[in-house]
Amino acid sequence: RNYCNVRFASTRTVTLIPGDGIGPEISAAVQKIFSAAQVPINWEPVDVTSVKGPDGKFGIPQAAIDSVNKNEIGLKGPLMTPIGKGHRSLNLALRKEFNLYANVRPCKSLDGYETLYKDVDVVTIRENTEGEYSGIEHEIVPGVVQSIKLITEDASRRVADFAFSYAKANGRSKVTVVHKANIMRMSDGLFLRCCREASKKFPEIKMEERYLDTVCLTMVQDPSQYDVLVMPNLYGDILSDLCAGLVGGLGLTPSGNIGLNGAIFESVHGTAPDIAGQDKANPTALLLSAVMMLRYMELGTYANKIEKACFEVIREGNKLTGDLGGKGKCSEFTDEICKKVESS
Amino acid sequence: KSLPKAKYGGRHTVTMLPGGGIGPELMSYVREVFRYAGVPVDFEEVPIDPSNDSNEDLEYAITSIRRNGAALKGNIETRSLSPNVISRNVAIRNELDLFVNVLHCTSFPGIQSRHSDVDIVVVRQNTEGEYAMMEHESVPGVVECLKVVTRANSDRVARFAFDYAKRHGRKKVTTIHKANIMKSSDGLFLAVCREVAKDYPDIQHDDMIIDNCCMQLVSNPHQFDVMVMPNLYGSIVSNVICGLIGGAGLLSGRNYGYEYAVFEPGTRNTGSAIAGKNIANPISMMNSAADLLHHLQLENHSVWLREAIDKTINVDKIHTPDLGGQATSMDVIKNIITFMQAKTKSSTFTERIEFRQASVI
Ligand SMILES: Nc1ncnc2c1ncn2[C@@H]1O[C@H](COP(=O)(O)OP(=O)(O)OP(=O)(O)O)[C@@H](O)[C@H]1O
Ligand SMILES: Nc1ncnc2c1ncn2[C@@H]1O[C@H](COP(=O)(O)OP(=O)(O)OP(=O)(O)O)[C@@H](O)[C@H]1O
Ligand SMILES: [Mg+2]
Ligand SMILES: [Mg+2]
Repeated sequence: RNYCNVRFASTRTVTLIPGDGIGPEISAAVQKIFSAAQVPINWEPVDVTSVKGPDGKFGIPQAAIDSVNKNEIGLKGPLMTPIGKGHRSLNLALRKEFNLYANVRPCKSLDGYETLYKDVDVVTIRENTEGEYSGIEHEIVPGVVQSIKLITEDASRRVADFAFSYAKANGRSKVTVVHKANIMRMSDGLFLRCCREASKKFPEIKMEERYLDTVCLTMVQDPSQYDVLVMPNLYGDILSDLCAGLVGGLGLTPSGNIGLNGAIFESVHGTAPDIAGQDKANPTALLLSAVMMLRYMELGTYANKIEKACFEVIREGNKLTGDLGGKGKCSEFTDEICKKVESS
Repeated sequence: KSLPKAKYGGRHTVTMLPGGGIGPELMSYVREVFRYAGVPVDFEEVPIDPSNDSNEDLEYAITSIRRNGAALKGNIETRSLSPNVISRNVAIRNELDLFVNVLHCTSFPGIQSRHSDVDIVVVRQNTEGEYAMMEHESVPGVVECLKVVTRANSDRVARFAFDYAKRHGRKKVTTIHKANIMKSSDGLFLAVCREVAKDYPDIQHDDMIIDNCCMQLVSNPHQFDVMVMPNLYGSIVSNVICGLIGGAGLLSGRNYGYEYAVFEPGTRNTGSAIAGKNIANPISMMNSAADLLHHLQLENHSVWLREAIDKTINVDKIHTPDLGGQATSMDVIKNIITFMQAKTKSSTFTERIEFRQASVI
């Protein structure tokens, strides 16, 4: 179960962006579990609190950019998006800075945590750089606004290629292309064509084409029919959250952003200011993101060991944090995983 | 532009667009039920050839709906790959200015699903947004697709939603959008909804981002009452809710403009894979037919048909395979016909008159 990249043969330093709110607590938890498992990586913590650059605009500090550029890999906790005009979200800035073109979100039902759906095991792969998020909008005449969705062959092709190689590397058997080419004939049509071409290079992976609305309909009826899904930006945004909903929300779902200049793995949930600093946060989403990262770095044995311990602690259920209906503290939950890792 | 509506000798004429896949068989069931129940509606059937690039069939269909005022419709396929041939379904909605699509989504107590007692009204902008169909390839390998949001259309659909809420005793309208990213287009839609909300002080208004909305729908659909949204999100939300309630075979969708009304199954599926096998669930089209009868003010027939559907699904539990049952489409239809015939026979002439008057008030 490997990713497709072999770029990290010697480098084993990882940039760590602890983030805001509960970010520092859950990052510390991940670090603790990693040292219990004796994972051969060094953390390089950086601060991404936005600073005023020479051009007078706020942005990511140069030191953080240099760190990710050097290490080509990072783990990131939640960042607070300042609610203010003209202030671009840091998440978006990171995405642009490192050309993070594919967002990968596995959603899997967990044993021991009851949700309405018990048979979910899907991975959504979302094009992350263009589409409806091009940001090109204008008012043509008063009361008439145009917003441009941009689909390019280059971006579509690289995310399509990524989806199929991800499927292959992770022992998956099918890729579903989600589109709306019956309506958006040229743009989604182009995306679809790129996927068809990519699929030819992976004859062992089955490819299937589905309309977005049909996927919405059938995903909530029977998610077990899906495996890996690849799609343009907006559809991915929506479907990945829908799938997270099936397995109990954002608190448990990891995510990875694969880029041209590096890869950043992150928890999808927010900063949870209501519980920050109280040792109540659930570190699972960030931990599972770190597990994805290990697989990407071809440290699969460590990934498996940690993942197994985490799932076991959840299944046993006596140290669960508040969001999962338990009374455990973040530190207790973490220690329990450490114990399992050490004894395995 | 508007022609007088056809109604000869007390009978209504309605355009029937069977469409592809399971459309034709579902239409034949509607004819059957109407015939046995003595419904005074005649259909003008207009097939549209999906593999023909010419617009002749389409134009005829549109003229026919203009003449009759109402249509019952299956999902029409557009097989042509030419970028100049736009989706027939979209063309019909745009030409007739059917600016709003309404789905009343209620759970069926007789159907096992993950959530029960869902009761949500989805009001969807039906003619612009991502379905504006304006695309071009600026340079090879780079395609731009325009999404258009206008104040005028947003206003009409928002007003429809709040009016609907008011008329049906609903408490809350939720606007669904992605205005954090599409600040101008979805931003305009949201701003217009907020303005319109001021004219309805008795109706609560809030808003939610589309991705969060989908997550909320699968975990707690009961928080929603009336929802209003741009075109594409409408397609997503209505399909998610239909999936939660029991699939594509149950609910109907209504398309309205100021002049015309078109009734079709809510999820707008073609169902090509199950066509011709006598297994398609005919309930969504039966519900569409009931919507049509209500629209024509054939209130007694409409109510009976809804009662027949309720009895068939919730009491007699005649379920097709998509609902986990063994019944054929025909089994469902036979049950509905039996019920309808009994109703038609037992109701006296005066009952019908009273019913008619009550429903007009
Ligand atoms: N890892 C976690 N462990 C426990 N609870 C969490 C976790 N993440 C989120 N929550 C809870 O979920 C709810 C939503 O929090 P979240 O931070 O995602 O959204 P938010 O408050 O909008 O923050 P932000 O503005 O940073 O996105 C909060 O009540 C929070 O306590
Ligand atoms: N009336 C119905 N009764 C039972 N199942 C239905 C009905 N309508 C649609 N379905 C089912 O819903 C799902 C989605 O429908 P469908 O495959 O037609 O979608 P579609 O995207 O329109 O595809 P196509 O255009 O290839 O027909 C399928 O599993 C189909 O069998
Ligand atoms: Mg999202
Ligand atoms: Mg369809």
